Amino acid sequence: MSFSTYKTDKAGLQKFYEAIIGACSTYAPVEKFGKYDYQKVAGLAACNPDSPIGNTMSIKPLFFPKSAKILKYKADSSGTEVSETTADPLAEKRVILGVKHCDARGLQVLDHVYKWDFIDTDYETRRNNTIIVSTRCDKAGEQCFCTSLDYDVEKSDAFDVLIVNGDNGTIYVQARTEKGEGFLKEHAGNLAAADGGAEEAMKKQYKSFEDSFRLKMNYEEINGKMKDRYESDEFDKVSANCIGCNTCAFICPTCHCFKISDERIKDEGVRYKSYDSCNNGYFTLMAGGHNPRPVKYRRWRQRAMHKFVYYKERFGVNLCVGCGRCAISCPVNISIFEVVKQVAK
Amino acid sequence: MDYTKQIQDIAARLFSEGKIDVFVGYRSTGYDENQVPVIITDAGEVDKLVFNDRSVFNLVNYLKFEQTRNKRVGIVVKGCDSRALNLLLTESQVKRDNLYIIGIACEGVLGEDGRKAQNCLECVMPDAVVYDELLGTPSGKREYVVNADILEIAAKGLTERAAYFEDVFSSCIRCNACRHSCPLCYCAKCCIDQDSSALYNGSNTESSAFHALMTWSLHLAGRCVDCRNCEKACPSHLPLHLLHKQNEMVIYQNFQGHLSGLVPEERGAFYKYSLSDPDDFIM
Amino acid sequence: MEQLLVPSLCTIEKIIQETADIRTYRLKFKDENLMSKFQWLPGQFVEFSLLGYGECTFCISSSVTRKGTFDCSIKRAGAVTSDIHSRLDEGDEVGIRGPFGNNFPLEELKGKNLLFVGGGIGLAPLRSLIQYCIDNRADYKDFTILYGARSSDDLCYKEETKEWQNNPSLKVILTIDRAEDTWHNNVGVVPKILEEVVKPTIENTKVITCGPPIMIKYTLQSLDRLGFDPKNVITTLEMRMQCGLGKCGRCNIGSTYVCKDGPVFTYEQLKTMPDEY
Repeated sequence: MSFSTYKTDKAGLQKFYEAIIGACSTYAPVEKFGKYDYQKVAGLAACNPDSPIGNTMSIKPLFFPKSAKILKYKADSSGTEVSETTADPLAEKRVILGVKHCDARGLQVLDHVYKWDFIDTDYETRRNNTIIVSTRCDKAGEQCFCTSLDYDVEKSDAFDVLIVNGDNGTIYVQARTEKGEGFLKEHAGNLAAADGGAEEAMKKQYKSFEDSFRLKMNYEEINGKMKDRYESDEFDKVSANCIGCNTCAFICPTCHCFKISDERIKDEGVRYKSYDSCNNGYFTLMAGGHNPRPVKYRRWRQRAMHKFVYYKERFGVNLCVGCGRCAISCPVNISIFEVVKQVAK
Repeated sequence: MDYTKQIQDIAARLFSEGKIDVFVGYRSTGYDENQVPVIITDAGEVDKLVFNDRSVFNLVNYLKFEQTRNKRVGIVVKGCDSRALNLLLTESQVKRDNLYIIGIACEGVLGEDGRKAQNCLECVMPDAVVYDELLGTPSGKREYVVNADILEIAAKGLTERAAYFEDVFSSCIRCNACRHSCPLCYCAKCCIDQDSSALYNGSNTESSAFHALMTWSLHLAGRCVDCRNCEKACPSHLPLHLLHKQNEMVIYQNFQGHLSGLVPEERGAFYKYSLSDPDDFIM
Repeated sequence: MEQLLVPSLCTIEKIIQETADIRTYRLKFKDENLMSKFQWLPGQFVEFSLLGYGECTFCISSSVTRKGTFDCSIKRAGAVTSDIHSRLDEGDEVGIRGPFGNNFPLEELKGKNLLFVGGGIGLAPLRSLIQYCIDNRADYKDFTILYGARSSDDLCYKEETKEWQNNPSLKVILTIDRAEDTWHNNVGVVPKILEEVVKPTIENTKVITCGPPIMIKYTLQSLDRLGFDPKNVITTLEMRMQCGLGKCGRCNIGSTYVCKDGPVFTYEQLKTMPDEY
C-alpha cells in the first residue's frame, strides 16, 4: 500500500506542528540543563522538534517510565489490603514530535519482549495510543551507527509520519503506516500534496545522510562472530575503563530491565517498578551471597552479548539500534560500537 | 599547557624500570577534542597518552577499581585530582608506596564549550599537592571565592529555591553515575543500596532522588574537591556542583577556613575534631 | 503489566520449623475461588511478597494432588527471607503471584526408574515431584531418594522423610556431611554417597537433582562418571528471578529466560547455556 506524501516549507511545518499541538496531547523535545527531554508541550515555542541527536534523550520514558507504581498496600492487625494504583498517566492518546528514527525502531524492538506471552497491557495501550512523528536526521551524530544494523532506516515503518528536509527549504511529510495516513488526513490541512519529484528528493537526502556516518560496521559479520566470542579475553580489555554506573542502560532506548522495590512507612507502603541494569554489581546477586557475575568484565560481556546476540537469537531483532547515546552519556565514553568491533575482530 | 611528551617519556621509563604494573592517563577519542581515561599495561602503549587542557576527568577515580587494586600504579594528577588522592591516602584506601604520581601544576581545563571550566576559575589549588614528579611551574594557593551560582540561588526566596531543586531532582534517573565517577565514593556497598533500606532502595521516584542526592552530598561534605567528575558524568546534566559548593562554603565559614585535601594526612572536616570547632549551638 | 505484578493475598495456615533456618509456610488463598482454581505442576514457582519488604521467588514444594493448600519452604538467606522468618506468624497474610515457569517433564518420567538426588533446601522443589509421583505410584518403576545435608539438624521434612522410609515402595538413603553420635545412617557428601552407596543403574533411569550450587556441580560430575546421558539428568535452577513473566531481565542466561524456559532444565540444556548460574 502506498502512503500519501505532502510537501511544505519551514513556515508550513511550524503551522502543521502548531495545529497538532492545538488539537492533541503532544510531546516534543524540551530543553532542560542543556539537553532535550520529551515533555508535554502547550506551544511550539516551548520545544524544538529538530533537537540534535547528540543531546536528545530517548522516548523510552514515555513508554517505560523510570519509576512506576505497581500497588499500594496497608498491613495492620486487622489484615492486609492491596490496592492497584490509579490510571496510567501515560495512557492517553498523544502525539510525539521530533522522534529520531533510532528511537522509533527501539520501540519496535521492545514490542517483542513486552508482547511475548504475558502481554504488558500498559505498554500496549501506550503504544496503541501514540502517533510517532519522526524527522529524519540530516547528518549522523558522532556516535551514531543506525544504518549499519539489521533494519532498513530508509524504509522503516517504525514511525507513523516521516519528515524529511529536501533541497531549497522544501520539507516532505509522508505517512508510513495506516495510522499515520489517517492522522495526516486529519491534521495536514495546510500541507500541499507532493509532486513526482518527492521520491527523488527524499532518496537524495537519505544518500547524503547515509554518507555522513563516521561509524559503519558489517552487522552480519559482527553478529556471526560474536556468537563464538563468549570466552574471549577481549571483554576484560574493553571493559577496563567502565566505572560501573548504570547510565548506558538507563538512557538506552531499548534496555528494559527493571527492579521491583518496596517503600514503606510503618504499616503502609508502595511497590515500585524502576529501571535496573545488568551493569549493576548486584544485578545477579542472590540471597546467600552467590553471584554468577561478580566482576565487571562478565557484566560487560552480558551487556554486549545481549545487545548483539541473545536478543536476536530469541526474538529475531537486534537489541541495539545504533543511536550512540551510551557512548555520549558514558562518563568515560565507552562505545558499544567499539566494544563489539574489538571483540569480533 | 601540554605535557604529552613528558608523560609518555615518564611512563615508558617507569615500565622499562619495572616500577609500575599499570599506568592511568588520558588518551584522545580520535574523532574530537575530548579525552578519555586510559589504563595501559605495557610500554608499547605509551604513545596513546596525551595531556593538555582537555585532560579533564579526575583519574583518581580509577584507584577504586579492580584494574589498579594491589598493583603498582602510575597516575597523572592535576591540583584538584591530587587533593582527592590526599584524602584517599589519609582514609587508607590506597598505599603511597604503590603509586608513582606525576603531578601537574595545572593551568585550568576547558569545558565542552571551549571555555575555561567554572571550577578552574574558582580553583584554590591548581598545583598538585602530592607527587613524585611535578610538571609545570607551581603558581601557588589562591584565595577561596564563593561559587557564583550558589550566591544566585541564595538570593532566591525559600519557595522559589524549593521549586528549583524539585525540578532538578525530578530529572534524576538514579543512574548513580555521579557516585561511581566520584573518586571519594568508594564504599563497597553504598548505604542507599542496602537491602534493608526501607525508603530508598532504588525506587527512582522524585523523593528517592532527593534522599539519594542529599545524603550523597552530605557524605562528601568537607571532602569534595570540586573536580566536577560527577556533574560531567550526569546524563541528565544536573547542576550537582550546587550541592557540593554550598556545603563547601558552610564548612569554610564555620570550620576555620577548612578546604579538603590540601594538607597531607588531614582528614575531612567531619572526620576530625578540634577544640576550636563552633559550639554555640550546643546548649 | 502492572496488573500482572499485583499479587493476590494468601493466609499462612501453618508454619513448620524444618531446621534452624528453614521454615515451611503452608498457604491458602483468601479467596476460595482462587484457591480452588489454583493449579500447578511440580517444578513451578511463585513470587512470594512480604509487602513492604520485598518479593522473592520460591518453588512450590508440595504437590497439587494434595489440594486445598500449597507449601513454600523458605531458607533464611538474605534480607527479605530474614524478614519473612522474623515477622510472619500463622494467620498472617502474604502476597502470591503465580504459578510461573515450566515443570518437571512428567510424561517423560512415566515408566522409568526415578532417582532423586537432593541436598539441603534443594529437596523443596523435588518434594513437589516426589509427592506427585507417590500419589501416582503405579506410573513409575524403581523409586530412589538420596537426600543429604550438612548435619542431621539441617535435613528438611524430617517427619515426611520418615514416612518415605516407612514406605516399602520407596528406597530412601539419607546422609550427612560429618558423623554425629546419634546418627546411624550414611556419612559423606551427596555425590560421594551417590557413587559409593546408591550405585545407580543407568538403564531406563531418570535422575532429578537439586541442591546448593556446589553440590549440583559435583553431582553432575558424578553422574557423568556413572555414565548417565545428560538428557536423562534433570535439575531445577534456583536462579535469581524477579518478575516471573520474562520481562525484567534478571534471570537471563544467554538467550534463555529461567522464569519461562525453566527453572527445570536437563543437564543437556544446561551444557548449551553460558556458565552463569
